Amino acid sequence: MLLRLQGISKRFGRDWVVRDLSFTLERGEVVALLGPNGSGKTTLLRLMAGLLKPTRGQVERAGRTLFLPNPPAFHRHLTAREHLLYDLAFHHQGKEPEEALDRFGLPGDLPLYAFSSGMKKRLALARLTLLFPDIWLLDEPETALDKGGRELLLATLAEARKKAGVVLATHDRTLAERVADRTLELGVA
Amino acid sequence: MKLPVEGWPEVSGQGRVGAVRRVVLLALRDLRLEVRDRAGLLSILAFFAVMLFIMALALGPEEEPLRRAAPGVLWVALAFGSTLLSTRAFALEVEEGTLDDLLLAPGGKEWIYFGKLLFQMLLLLPLAALALLMAAGLFYLPLERLFPLFLTLVLGVLGYASVATFYAGLLARLRGREVLLPLLLFSLVVPVVLASVRATTGLAEGLPVAEISDWWQLLLVFDVVYLTASALLFPVVMEG
Repeated sequence: MLLRLQGISKRFGRDWVVRDLSFTLERGEVVALLGPNGSGKTTLLRLMAGLLKPTRGQVERAGRTLFLPNPPAFHRHLTAREHLLYDLAFHHQGKEPEEALDRFGLPGDLPLYAFSSGMKKRLALARLTLLFPDIWLLDEPETALDKGGRELLLATLAEARKKAGVVLATHDRTLAERVADRTLELGVA
Repeated sequence: MKLPVEGWPEVSGQGRVGAVRRVVLLALRDLRLEVRDRAGLLSILAFFAVMLFIMALALGPEEEPLRRAAPGVLWVALAFGSTLLSTRAFALEVEEGTLDDLLLAPGGKEWIYFGKLLFQMLLLLPLAALALLMAAGLFYLPLERLFPLFLTLVLGVLGYASVATFYAGLLARLRGREVLLPLLLFSLVVPVVLASVRATTGLAEGLPVAEISDWWQLLLVFDVVYLTASALLFPVVMEG
């Protein structure tokens, strides 16, 4: 078991965004979260990551966790290479970012304020493959990606499945059907 | 491209050297961001200059009132400068949405606190030294006592920044943090500001160092207490 949610509920003010949800993620598994806007997909991912505290219930994680927000978060005054180097150092990993930059077709020395949304999404995927956490939490990873980027996403998810567990929130049912072992459908309360 | 600490012992675990390496890297990364962005740095510099000039014009030109007001004016400038900078240290992360990445890095969260504090000290101490020189020129502070004045400045700024960094982290994700931070902060740092002003006043009046050392000891005690308490509480307040 990589991730277990037991009777999770989350309330913002008077509104319950997630109510009494239980869920388990195993290594080698890809789970897709589906649901309309406002159904609590991002909140659930943040609860899974430990970035939000549940109002009720428990979250157990058995491994390193990374959360890819939508849009991805980067410092715009750093270059892609600098960002990856700092990330690797903060995560105690001594890898080199060059291979990942080449693979994802990214210019290493361009400041990130000059990156398009799709390039930032590619950089976020490159970052994930370098840091390679046990639990991958991805919020709409397919948005802003072109055809080539989408193929890279599929390849990245296939790699992640071999050694880690993945939860991805998406509106793209085709993607969910293609990559996910099972889906979790959230509704608006 | 090499990171600034290239060649340091590579620690793949979470040992002490690894933690220090992360702290230094975070501080240097923030420094790099601040220098490239320039907005925060220039606003603090402008604030120091404008405040010291206005106070000098208002209280001068006679030497005696200027010299008497100098410690208070200097520490008001440093206090507001430090508050601006501590808000800035976390605003860098909140504006870009990158705070979550730091929080999800393995190990405890104390390194984030120490990294942000080191960033502030690295930026604030040269700025404070500049403010001290400006105050010496405008307010007749005795320049021959520059070393003890700078020591007072280091001890005072460290105590102030250690609490300011803690509260800036606590309030980082709240709207209106710029308003809340001074309200929470000033009540707690009164002893540090008081001891710093008294030590600076003593030095400006030409008191022997032996008489000032009591204030330095008091500052040192507050620095240790504030640093320890903030480092222990920081991971708790950053939880979800």
